Amino acid sequence: MKFDISYIIDALPRLFEGALITLQVAILGFCLSLILATTITIARTSLNSKIFNTIIAFYISFIRGTPLLVQIFLIYYVLPVFGLNLGPFSSGIIAITLNSAAFVTEILRGGLASVPNGQFEAAKSLGVSGVALWRKIILPQTFIASIPPLVNEFTMVLKATALLSVITVVELMRVSQQIYSANYHPVEVLSATFVIYFLMCFVVSRSSAILENKLKVKRA
Amino acid sequence: MTLNFLELKGLHKKFGDITALNNVSLNVSKGEVIFIIGPSGCGKSTLLRAVNWLTPPDKGEVWLEGDIVGSLSSKLTIEESKLLNSFRAKMGMVFQQFNVWPHLNALENVVRAQMVVAKRNKAESEVKALKILDEVGLSDKINEWPDNLSGGQKQRLAIARSLAMDPILMLLDEPTSALDPELVGEVLSVLRRLVNNGMTMLIVTHELGFASKFGDRIVFMDGGEIIEEGIPEKILKTPKTQRLKMFLEKLNITSFKQ
Repeated sequence: MKFDISYIIDALPRLFEGALITLQVAILGFCLSLILATTITIARTSLNSKIFNTIIAFYISFIRGTPLLVQIFLIYYVLPVFGLNLGPFSSGIIAITLNSAAFVTEILRGGLASVPNGQFEAAKSLGVSGVALWRKIILPQTFIASIPPLVNEFTMVLKATALLSVITVVELMRVSQQIYSANYHPVEVLSATFVIYFLMCFVVSRSSAILENKLKVKRA
Repeated sequence: MTLNFLELKGLHKKFGDITALNNVSLNVSKGEVIFIIGPSGCGKSTLLRAVNWLTPPDKGEVWLEGDIVGSLSSKLTIEESKLLNSFRAKMGMVFQQFNVWPHLNALENVVRAQMVVAKRNKAESEVKALKILDEVGLSDKINEWPDNLSGGQKQRLAIARSLAMDPILMLLDEPTSALDPELVGEVLSVLRRLVNNGMTMLIVTHELGFASKFGDRIVFMDGGEIIEEGIPEKILKTPKTQRLKMFLEKLNITSFKQ
């Protein structure tokens, strides 16, 4: 069997369309995950409630202790039971969000721990509290400290979206499967898919280095 | 009865089994400069932090210009915390570790709280910030990031940040303790200006020389209590209690060694 590049060239337009969906799902899921995790992080610190913290601890250990594939299927099949017929795309986003938020919460916990208590105290002593304290003083420092693991988490999310092909989200992996099951040339099509995933992740991790450098120049 | 500017009434604070404040009361008049000295762990920092409710006392009251500061309830209502914020803005606090905000440049450090708390607009805040940064000798560092500043510069920036809120009282918690010896002077000279401008100040310090020169009163604390207080001359030259004598002796020995 010989490697015929024409199959790749033919597949590329559709693969790029799939890659676009992959990016959409990953970006949307990761942004929602950031919002959820930030909310959890603030609530955990400022509510100081045992019940809330226990619930979050359970949530994190369940997410970490089960395969994402199972979580995706579960959400896809469980939501309709409660009358929520969201379709594969929305279910997929929810699954990605809930999964990633658990990890992002842990990342932000580390970032927050790197902000000295004196930063809170200085703000409070000037009369800055509540939302402004978090938005203007604490969160910027938390996020700056968390950039490398957050970028890493985003590449994980980007790759994890391939799993959504199992619930028929027409992202890159799904498109690729559709193409090779029609033309019977999985080697060519999957090689192209492989390279496209790699390029997307490579660009993301390079941008992290640029971002970090920029912030370092700004600070040190 | 004359109304005191700042009045601390029967403050108590315990951390677990350790008593940090044991029935501490203190009256401060407007414009008075009070130095608080004592061995480490004597409760002097806790006292300072109780004044602006950063460490709320277990019992006792703080009165500023006839108004009661803070509340002993563990969860503050929105109204209470707003009120507390307005009191805190009036009481500038300077920390041993500076606590300048590393993600903001010098100018933004001084601007931020003015906009958030005092609700001034950006232009107004910047004009004020530039004026104060000039007063503390940082006019050539306004665009600098805190990481690029020396300890003395950071502390002056922290002082500027507090002054921008137009405080009527300054609380300084060992403002020069974390500095290299050659940087102490520049911070003290900023503080001297504040003294000369008539700022009311409570200063926790080990700089006895500075305290004796600029203090109206020195308060000596040990074991969470005020043991002795009086004019610097009296406290430093003729200590009455054995504990103060021992403390001064120890300090003298260390400063002699240096």
